[in-house]
Amino acid sequence: MSDDKTLAETLAQRGISRRSFLKFCASIASLMAMPPAMAVEMAEKLAAARRQSVVYLSFQECTGCLESLTRSHSPKLEDLIFDAISLDYQETLVACAGHFAEHILKEAIEKNDGKFILMVDGSIPLKDGGIYSTIAGRTNLDILEWVAPHAAAVIAVGSCAAFGGIPKANPNPTGAVAVSDIIKDKPIINVPGCPPIPVVITGVIAHYLTMGTIPDLDELGRPKVFFGDSIHDRCYRRPFYDQGKFAKSFDDEGARNGWCLFELGCKGPTTHNACATTKWNGGVSFPIESGHGCLGCSEPDFWDAGSFYTALSAPTKDVANWAAIGVAAGAAIGVAAGIANRSTKTETKRTRKPLTVDDLKGKPKS
Amino acid sequence: MNSLKGIPIIKLDATPVMSHGNALPLLHEIEVLLDQLIATGKSGAIDLRSLPMLADDYEKLKEILGEGEVKATVDAMGPSQVRETAIHGVWWVTHFNSDATVLAEFIEITYIPEILQTHPADARMGLENLRSRLMSTSQVDKGETDV
Repeated sequence: MSDDKTLAETLAQRGISRRSFLKFCASIASLMAMPPAMAVEMAEKLAAARRQSVVYLSFQECTGCLESLTRSHSPKLEDLIFDAISLDYQETLVACAGHFAEHILKEAIEKNDGKFILMVDGSIPLKDGGIYSTIAGRTNLDILEWVAPHAAAVIAVGSCAAFGGIPKANPNPTGAVAVSDIIKDKPIINVPGCPPIPVVITGVIAHYLTMGTIPDLDELGRPKVFFGDSIHDRCYRRPFYDQGKFAKSFDDEGARNGWCLFELGCKGPTTHNACATTKWNGGVSFPIESGHGCLGCSEPDFWDAGSFYTALSAPTKDVANWAAIGVAAGAAIGVAAGIANRSTKTETKRTRKPLTVDDLKGKPKS
Repeated sequence: MNSLKGIPIIKLDATPVMSHGNALPLLHEIEVLLDQLIATGKSGAIDLRSLPMLADDYEKLKEILGEGEVKATVDAMGPSQVRETAIHGVWWVTHFNSDATVLAEFIEITYIPEILQTHPADARMGLENLRSRLMSTSQVDKGETDV
């Protein structure tokens, strides 16, 4: 629960020194592309801050976002952000269950009405009255519409909460939507990714705690400091793109030499995220450094943006496929409106192209 | 290829790109910041992680800045290495986490890096701590004298 102690006092009680705190802020400032001198100011403000109440709701999701946050690479230092907040409700982490857990949520909302940060992961199903995801007999929509009006701001964690994500992928059987499709009168910070980079989540919270405001956002509601550049802009393979050196398959000489993966379907040029600078697994690497193209998971509808292994420059449907689409469209004409949804699923199944070994080798389909 | 053993091991003779040519522009930036420190007393810093730096860029930067006479390690939730370069007033500060992974790396242009300084609040706490210890010591001494 929230208390009246400053963060510096809380940390001192736990034996965490001011220098550790300064170091944490230097890391966060570096990640957020703030001027290095800001770290000192940030540490001063954060140290004087009261613990911020956070309510974390999980809806139609896989818990990967929470895993990303709680299993971040430097747990001891990242723990500091958990000292900076009071995580008053999170279903997966809460010790109790059932009515007790529901009571804690109600209490957290009442105690910090208008002051807490609401974090949401997962999309919200709307179809058939939202029955496809319920908690304690209440739909996700019902819970969100109850909690959000009491929050100071909302952080939509992960691509599902930010854009609908995989649940919203064609044919979107549950009618999944993003948080921003429902909540219109609160500041919403989208932190997409499948999952999002843990330090990006941490950085957004740290920014709110130190500045008292939400960071500058792009047109998709994402913090510009993390999502301002494309993966391609910051990719260490970018010089090869500029030189026109491309890997043609995952095991050719170009791939072995670390050339650009654009022709193998890398979505880096159209994807905005911090993977190329922040990296994953303790800064070890990121997908492109591990030899695979970017999937574009922090962009809206990434799951429906064509094959992961088709170059961005390629037409979305090749000429050979037009005939198949024509047949599918012709078949659809005669289908009655009542079974339209089934026909959509059938078409999706029909046009779905399973990944083959040839795809991986970059060979044209026979 | 039915098992891991079926995957061939191929030895590469590739020469990867090792430099983005960022060392020299950085050195010029350091020059400007050092000039500013002397003229105004204002410290400056460069975040090395915000730039695409490859191995040769680092080496060139290290080679030209050189090694100075001050080396300090701060043990605060993982080590932080603070080294003055051969250019006085130019410090190389590297923060590691407890897994020895680099969290942040800066070139600081300052008389003394912030992380080495004692915060006034900590100094006040230190004074209270010292007075408490002195009181305990004098009480023990008094007790021994009485005996």
